[in-house]
Amino acid sequence: MKIVIVGNSVAAVNAIEAIRDRDKISSITVVSDENYRAYSHPLLPNLVIGEVSRSEERFYYRRTGFYEDNKIKTILGKKVTKLDVQGKLVELDNGEKLEYDKLLLACGGKPVKPPIDGFDLKGVHTLTNIKSADKLRRDLKNISHCVVVGGGLIGSKVAEKLAKKGIKVTLVELMRRVLFPVLDDIGADYIHKELKRLGITLVLNDSVSALDGDERVGQVILKSGKKIDADGVVVAVGVAPNIDLAKDANLDVDRGVVVNDFMQTSNENVYAAGDVAQAYDIVMGLKRPIPILPLAARQGRIAGLNMLGAGVKYKGGFPMNSITIGQTSFISAGIVDSEELEVLSIKKGNEYRKFLVDEDNKLKGMILVNNVEKAGMFNWMIQNRFDVSWIKDAFLNSDFGWKYFNKAFRVLRLDRKIK
Amino acid sequence: MRIVKIREDNCIFCHLCEVACIVEHSQSKDIIKAFKREERPIARCTVEFNYPISLSIMCRHCDDAPCIEACQNGSMHRDERGYVVVNPQTCVGCWMCIMACPYGVIKRDTRREKWGLSTKCDLCPDRVIPACVEACPNEALTFEEL
Amino acid sequence: MKWMKNLKTYVPPSFVVERDDYRCIRCKACVEQCSFDATFYDEDEDRVWAWNANCVGCNRCAAICPTDAITVRRADPTYRYNHNWNGHVDSLKKRAIFGGTPVVSMGNDKPYPIYWDHMLLNASQVTNPSIDPLREPMELKTFLGRKPDSISVSDDGLKTKLAPQLELDIPIMFAAMSYGALSYNVIEALGRAAKEMGTYYNSGEGGLNKDHYKFKGNIIVQVASGRFGVHKDYLDVGSAIEIKIGQGAKPGIGGHLPGEKVSETISETRMMPKGSDALSPAPHHDVYSIEDLRQLIYALKEATEYKKPVAVKIACVHNVAAIASGIARAGADIIVLDGFKGGTGASPQVIRDNIGLPLEVSLAVVDERLRQEGIRQYVSIVASGGIRNSMDVVKAIALGADAVYIGTAALIAIGCTMCQQCHTGKCAWGISTQDPHLSKRVNPDIASKRLINLLEVWALEIKETMGAMGINSIESLRGNRLNLRGVGLNEKELEILGILPAGE
Repeated sequence: MKIVIVGNSVAAVNAIEAIRDRDKISSITVVSDENYRAYSHPLLPNLVIGEVSRSEERFYYRRTGFYEDNKIKTILGKKVTKLDVQGKLVELDNGEKLEYDKLLLACGGKPVKPPIDGFDLKGVHTLTNIKSADKLRRDLKNISHCVVVGGGLIGSKVAEKLAKKGIKVTLVELMRRVLFPVLDDIGADYIHKELKRLGITLVLNDSVSALDGDERVGQVILKSGKKIDADGVVVAVGVAPNIDLAKDANLDVDRGVVVNDFMQTSNENVYAAGDVAQAYDIVMGLKRPIPILPLAARQGRIAGLNMLGAGVKYKGGFPMNSITIGQTSFISAGIVDSEELEVLSIKKGNEYRKFLVDEDNKLKGMILVNNVEKAGMFNWMIQNRFDVSWIKDAFLNSDFGWKYFNKAFRVLRLDRKIK
Repeated sequence: MRIVKIREDNCIFCHLCEVACIVEHSQSKDIIKAFKREERPIARCTVEFNYPISLSIMCRHCDDAPCIEACQNGSMHRDERGYVVVNPQTCVGCWMCIMACPYGVIKRDTRREKWGLSTKCDLCPDRVIPACVEACPNEALTFEEL
Repeated sequence: MKWMKNLKTYVPPSFVVERDDYRCIRCKACVEQCSFDATFYDEDEDRVWAWNANCVGCNRCAAICPTDAITVRRADPTYRYNHNWNGHVDSLKKRAIFGGTPVVSMGNDKPYPIYWDHMLLNASQVTNPSIDPLREPMELKTFLGRKPDSISVSDDGLKTKLAPQLELDIPIMFAAMSYGALSYNVIEALGRAAKEMGTYYNSGEGGLNKDHYKFKGNIIVQVASGRFGVHKDYLDVGSAIEIKIGQGAKPGIGGHLPGEKVSETISETRMMPKGSDALSPAPHHDVYSIEDLRQLIYALKEATEYKKPVAVKIACVHNVAAIASGIARAGADIIVLDGFKGGTGASPQVIRDNIGLPLEVSLAVVDERLRQEGIRQYVSIVASGGIRNSMDVVKAIALGADAVYIGTAALIAIGCTMCQQCHTGKCAWGISTQDPHLSKRVNPDIASKRLINLLEVWALEIKETMGAMGINSIESLRGNRLNLRGVGLNEKELEILGILPAGE
């Protein structure tokens, strides 16, 4: 069998591992427009300020020799320009054509470019891949005051890193708090404090209307009319699934490439996984792209298995994030702010715990700030739609753990009798 | 695959599993030196207590380990014995494994200069029987097939 | 320091906990293990301290300490030496300060003579051959119960109809220790060991938890003055029924299980309200004479269709021989003699330390008296109370016992260090406690293994000794006082024990 994987990151690598676990013979070809082996995207902000370099193993998603050991043919630095689902062909930008029996679209996302004048000025950066990170890193010496547009995961992380590097940073966020979708007001307040402690100026409830400058950006003009002098801008307002290829091939696309429970697109030979895919969200009860690494890995693995006909179902995922800004770590998952759900929360000192439970006593989301080590237990409850009626009272205890569970259940779980 | 079976009915809350774990993961593997002279490792097992319940909990070494799935750079991996272990050389302390671990058994070691370190049970690669199992005075931890 | 010593209630500590501070790694294992609050951790000082006043000398901390940093020493008496008063000063003070008579547990700890240690066993040399138990069969099988005056045998086998018998693979049983006095796990361990070794454990007077009905066939059930948990099923589960008249550690008085020890399961087992004191009256209120006892014995036999032997347990007291004779005539199948060194879960100190008779002497006089009266075959004699090793067993059997009960020795095998705190219910070794957290300290898997080891070793030692004497069946040793010689005993003692002095 000929398997072609478009993209070379988390979903692709996990698909490869899943396939190779069962099938050592089929040919697997990986095509990626990036000229590097799979690397860790969350480390890009670290790469920018030189905390990690491209020569370090920790920067990469798998150790050297991964492709050779798994007998993977890699076509790097080439872009797939066309997908022909009838002819089961992909066409590369150098005109080369690859035949496939099964195809995996794992081409991730691309940065959202807000409609702002002056986006092409020098000193304006995005940060979604090595190339953009390198560009920003080389430009750092020219930047003394940087405006980071977007207080999301990448935005706040890069703001933190730049501030650590000694650059004056202003963080502009459209919403009333940073990390809007993954934290509530109280939780975000911890991050606001951390960012301020790092010397970052926070501009909330505002957005950029224009970037001004001759050749290089010199001023950022906000919607509110405020003007900030800056010689560098990092735009990090999010990523959108890379759906062009699928769209042109007339596959079902919405915000992402729509997949069924088997990570199959509307064409039975084409699978999609990772940030590009629009799969089931178990918390919201609908299909939507959730661009997070653990889900990309899981979807990739399931897609890989299903390409071999294993018939493994994707049970659905939900957003979860683990971020450390300064001294504050938090992990959140699912729905973090809601009027309809029952909210259990407690804030004591530098610890904040919040849990959202629906009327069926199913956990729908949670936020843990600083005391995060048991986070996975809650995520398990969300994932498995666990009835929390009898244990939710213990959620707010800082020492929450196995000791609060019913003994019979605890024994079964710890003996791995219940997965 | 043998892992540490937790027999909570026998746990007497003595913490010796934690002590043994610290000693095993110390530089000298000498109990006094590990506690008095060296930087003390973090115990990979945790004893929980809620009268009259007490039990020691450590990694269950899942077959489809969510921590491996969540790891951003392959630091969390399966070693040649089939157990889930962290590569301290590459771990960057993003705590994504903690976020994913359904048992809540991964701990944060934030004492390294640059990168945090996810700390979890490695089932004592240098031993036949894990240190905690050997140290347990009441057979509340046994090393067996599950 | 969370507590300050006060002269008003000061009694010098019995023990001193010495901690090598360099070796102490502050793991706090000792702190968690001490159930008497004798050890605590001071966070500000980062040190583990001891409250010597609370220390009972159970050595749990020393045993658990992974660096061996702890030594528990007996506190030296600091009063001026006084042979007459030493040992009495503190107990006198305690009564004066706190009022009330001190309650203690385990057996009599006073230095009364131990006759076991004044008896030596014989061995074969030249004139008769000794036997190697590893090469030749050795019989330890014992039957307890009434034996017929004579038997007749036909070609089909035994023609005489035998009274019900208890069959023991080894003449050692576990003495009556109730669920209530002991934790659930200890009972579980005793049951498993009894089953494995083909012997019996005695439920004690606290009834039998439903979970332990699985040991049917290896249980002797007890009926005591409190009649706790006695019902049809209970009697049916027992292979024999034991009427407890008295107990060596506290002859003549009843028992008292404090209400706080009467937990949910205990209350269910004992058939009494949760949290109420379990009081065993001093006498059975329906047994005021031998005739009354006969009625009770036959009531129990009737209830169990004469299928089970009935034992009567008495404490060894001055006229033990006459009492035993009466019991034999009252219809008992087994008499249990409990010597004054027998243990208990709780007893007033004065009673424990001053009442009763040595088992060795009682055994000798009871056996002798029953023989003289020609009724020895009516009953089997079980010796109990202070059997410490396999040689005590051999000597007891040579003095006339059919089998022995071990209680304290079994508990020591499980972990007991004889700190004599059973009555507090805080046993740090998890043995005599109902605290669900403390009782986890006995793992029935380990404990039953140890009990089995103990019995196996004792059985081997008994066989070795018998082999040395040239005896290959325990039956031949029973009442065989010729194999005993007394040392350091006066003529009267030798006469009462019915043994010759060494050299004769």
